[in-house]
Amino acid sequence: MVTSYLIEKVGYYKVLIGLLLLTVVTFSLPEVVVSKYTFSAQMFIATVKAWLILMYYMHLKGEKTIGWSVLFSLLIVAFFFSIVMIDVNNFQYTDVSHITSPTK
Amino acid sequence: MGKSYFDETHCAIGHPKSTFMQWMLTVDHKRIGIMYAVVMFTFFFVAVAAALTMRFELFSPGQQYIEAQTFNQAFTLHGVIMIFMFIIPGIPAVFGNIVMPLMIGAKDVSFPRLNWFTFWLYIFGCIVALTSLFNFNISEGEVLFKFADTGWTFYAPYSLNTDTNVITTLVAGFILGMASILTGLNFLVTIHRLRAPGMEFFKMPLFVWGIYATAWIQLLATPVVGITLVLAILEKYFGIGIFDPSKGGDPVLFQHLFWIYSHPAVYLMILPAFGIMSEIIPAFSRREIFGYRTIALSSASIAGIGYLVWGHHLYTSGMSDTAKVIFSFLTFFVAIPTGIKFYDWIATMYKGKIILATPMLWALGTIITFAVGGLTGVTIAMVGADIHLQDTYYTIAHFHYAMLGGVVFLLFAGMHYWFPLVFGKMYNETHAKIAFALNFIGFNVLWFPMFIAGYMGMPRRYFDYLPEFQIYHQISFIGALIFVTGLIYMFTVLIRATKNGKPCGPNPWNATTLEWHLPSSPPPLENHTKVPYVDFRPYEYHHGQPVVKFDENMRRID
Amino acid sequence: MAHDSHDAHDSHVYVPEIAVDREGKEHVVQGWQGDYEGGKLGFWLFMLTEVMMFGAMFLALTYYYTLHQQDFLIASASLNRWLGGFNTVVLLFSALTMGLGLLKMRHGDVKGAKLMIWTTILLALVFLGVKAVEWTAEYHHGIFLGLDALQSGNEHSKPFGQILFFGMYFTMTGLHGFHIIIGIGLMLWLLKRINAQKVTPDHNILHFNIALYWDLVHLIWVFVFPYFYMIGAGDIAGGVVHGH
Repeated sequence: MVTSYLIEKVGYYKVLIGLLLLTVVTFSLPEVVVSKYTFSAQMFIATVKAWLILMYYMHLKGEKTIGWSVLFSLLIVAFFFSIVMIDVNNFQYTDVSHITSPTK
Repeated sequence: MGKSYFDETHCAIGHPKSTFMQWMLTVDHKRIGIMYAVVMFTFFFVAVAAALTMRFELFSPGQQYIEAQTFNQAFTLHGVIMIFMFIIPGIPAVFGNIVMPLMIGAKDVSFPRLNWFTFWLYIFGCIVALTSLFNFNISEGEVLFKFADTGWTFYAPYSLNTDTNVITTLVAGFILGMASILTGLNFLVTIHRLRAPGMEFFKMPLFVWGIYATAWIQLLATPVVGITLVLAILEKYFGIGIFDPSKGGDPVLFQHLFWIYSHPAVYLMILPAFGIMSEIIPAFSRREIFGYRTIALSSASIAGIGYLVWGHHLYTSGMSDTAKVIFSFLTFFVAIPTGIKFYDWIATMYKGKIILATPMLWALGTIITFAVGGLTGVTIAMVGADIHLQDTYYTIAHFHYAMLGGVVFLLFAGMHYWFPLVFGKMYNETHAKIAFALNFIGFNVLWFPMFIAGYMGMPRRYFDYLPEFQIYHQISFIGALIFVTGLIYMFTVLIRATKNGKPCGPNPWNATTLEWHLPSSPPPLENHTKVPYVDFRPYEYHHGQPVVKFDENMRRID
Repeated sequence: MAHDSHDAHDSHVYVPEIAVDREGKEHVVQGWQGDYEGGKLGFWLFMLTEVMMFGAMFLALTYYYTLHQQDFLIASASLNRWLGGFNTVVLLFSALTMGLGLLKMRHGDVKGAKLMIWTTILLALVFLGVKAVEWTAEYHHGIFLGLDALQSGNEHSKPFGQILFFGMYFTMTGLHGFHIIIGIGLMLWLLKRINAQKVTPDHNILHFNIALYWDLVHLIWVFVFPYFYMIGAGDIAGGVVHGH
């Protein structure tokens, strides 16, 4: 009982250190990488952090039904993103649209 | 005879003595389902009245009875009530509540008090929507109603500019959406956790499969429209710019977000309806359902594909051609699992002992009307055809053939099928069959001319029209009268039966699923007194007789 | 829903039930009362709806980021990165205290658990305080919903991309802050339930679910923070630019 408590407690602190390190990386990264990649780099770090929180703080590890539900909803969100991004990237009326080239 | 759930109940708060308070506070899934039905059908008739008003106005060209602005508000009212208050809670809220726990052998849903809360959230949402209806100005002796005039889709930027009461309607939409989410959540947990021992997913009745697939749509799609409505409200109050073109906002984004929910929502409506069909067809063909697994999995795949096709509402919005092609392609896929279901139902009836009881008549009628609705849907999924047919009466006719002729007809079929279960009494079948005939004929006379009018170019939501469309509107009007007569007749038959119907025992249809094996009729408060071990398939018939039989302790004796 | 699942009702108690199959084997019938797994599943499903809500907002945000990339980077660079970063660390520690509180509760240390919940509430208030400082500063710089800079067609008007960026910034951080307030409310309620002995080391589903909720609030911030504060960090402007 007591040992399992200690092990779990150490686990929480380990994740905390990992998250703190990643936060430091968040701040120092823009100084290092080319600004073109800042956006993707930031989102990548956020995803790693989110994964740590999901797996360890939210105890998703080993949850079968819940794990699949989470995955399913994330896939749907990913699909929404991909289609809407395809649409907006192929926007055909950029030159004539009021919202993309406002009349000055 | 023991007490039924009409005699005693569990309450969310305390132990009230009065019958009225016992109904208001009840957490019993069967009572909550009945209350949903009462409220929903009341609103249904309000919306029917709005539609009938529009039909009167459209009887001949020009203005007759109502102002053009009132007409706009009438179709908004019709849409908002029918969609958000009637058909979205629809079958899950009524039969998902009443029948689903009985079918899986559960004592109640997983969170009974949440269920009670959800019902009242729904009522609260309805009240908010109605307040915008009764909000009016009186100026110079004229009453000006401020009910929203945007159509039920609230398209930006008009919904952001109109001075009618869109905000209350948006808030109501959000609250009703929350209620829908919580219903779905409750059902998902119930189906995952409370199935009777031995009942695997592939031993569940197909109605439960329909509810399960629906619940996933309620859970994951509804939040998207919820937040869209919130963003629209914030836009109107604080001007965050998101959908307002004068600040760079894109109204097409509103359409994307709106239809990301609202398209899956039509599958949310139809899937439990298909579930009802899958219950009725084997029960009245006295034959095991053909292709159980394909029906179950097609429900799941319709729900899955349903998330991916919203863009076919945006063909004329200025969306990119690339996206149009992708969406058109994906939309065709929905027809495949739907087709599988249809062939399975027809194959079930083949060589069966078909009994033409009222529920079966409704189901058979729906096979015709929904086939028309579904196939015309495929035609407007094509980008080229849709450019011509978008926003015409063709689309309206398609939608009503699919939703009214599919969902609502099957809801009526379910009402006739489970009526003896819920009330323990049987209605007068002869009268119920006449009511079906009136409805079926009236429905087709009402909507079919609209396909032709729409194909020839009659636009939807118009207050006035060219003289050459008059004949179609007049045929529709006659159909509408027959249809409304049929509706009133049908409800009269059913309501009379709650008082005068003959007691019919727990299993009048000789059906096989668990809800027909209750110890008494109407069911006792906590459903099955003994829960069976489920080691059988849901629709086992042999030579027209149910295979599985139970003793009084719900142990198998065959 | 967390509440429902363990709070057995005197009139509605679970009677253990057994179903017997044809071989005479006995199977326990699951009741809705005291269903820990069901309570957990229910709350996770609820959190998925939150994911979809914020997912849709991020979708809108990304839509406009695609259309107005440069404006977004400029607007992002003008936010106060250090205050945002400080809040990130505050939330990070609050997630830890919340988790440790649950751990203590599960291992019978009710007093320690309560202390941890109070610490979490304190950290949440710090977060809200910093947020208020930030919004006030922005208001004084003329950037707030309804002010001229975020309206179109006047001399202070910002370009479309920046109007949209700030519109979404106030909406999303505002809704996130709203979730923090709800979270504080939930934790206070949890403390009340613990004091009333309705939440105990053996009946901790409510505590478990509120801890999950708090992690979700943290999780949303993990994406909100870089999307608003950091994407402009590598921009030509470089470093930290305060206001205008």
